[in-house]
Amino acid sequence: MNVVTARFGEIEVDESKIINMQGGIIGFEHLKKYILHMQDEKNPFWWYQSLDDGKIAFVVINPFIAKADYEPVISDNDIKFLEIKGPDDVVLLAIVTILQNPFSVSANLRAPIVINAEKRIAKQIILEDQTYPVKYYLTTGPADEAAATGDSEKPNNCKTASL
Amino acid sequence: MLILTRKLGEAITISDDIKITVLETKGKQVKLGIEAPAHITVHRAEIYQLIREQNIQAAKVDSIEKETLPDILTGLKSLF
Repeated sequence: MNVVTARFGEIEVDESKIINMQGGIIGFEHLKKYILHMQDEKNPFWWYQSLDDGKIAFVVINPFIAKADYEPVISDNDIKFLEIKGPDDVVLLAIVTILQNPFSVSANLRAPIVINAEKRIAKQIILEDQTYPVKYYLTTGPADEAAATGDSEKPNNCKTASL
Repeated sequence: MLILTRKLGEAITISDDIKITVLETKGKQVKLGIEAPAHITVHRAEIYQLIREQNIQAAKVDSIEKETLPDILTGLKSLF
């Protein structure tokens, strides 16, 4: 099928790659179908493109690239809901927020998108554990420090991911 | 807003498959038990709102120029 997107123009979508979100992204519950699109092979930032509204696309990243020791606890309810049989079924994505003036890039580690890669169903879950911030900064600099004082969600040791 | 007053142990039903029970009250805190099917998400309102706002901000990436964004994302590759 072909979908017209704001960012990429008309793209051809392999229907077997479509991801179905019964609940949708929080705040965008009316959008259910998405496709994962790679910028280029070597770029860890991917696009989570809505097929229901071509204007909506989220920059996402594998949260383990942002934080190697990321250990989200997925509830039994969600495991059941997503029909997850084992860890190999699961792909996690963190939604990335890019702001300009001042420039900052953060990943939402508190509410990852959990995908059952085999069944191609997904859900955005909110972790009970408050360790992981909603804004885990991938950039450092004045924007970071200013945000640190005002943002109670961000833990003290939140810094750029190391290579 | 519908306002109902409940005593400890009493409950409220919403639709035909959601039930909220007052389990415990302790000072200013109320412990609520929520029974709902798995596809219904239940969250503390303030965290739900926070996530919702963050998602909306993240979606605003569409206002960043199509031309600049690939450069930003390429530049960020060096972080990893």
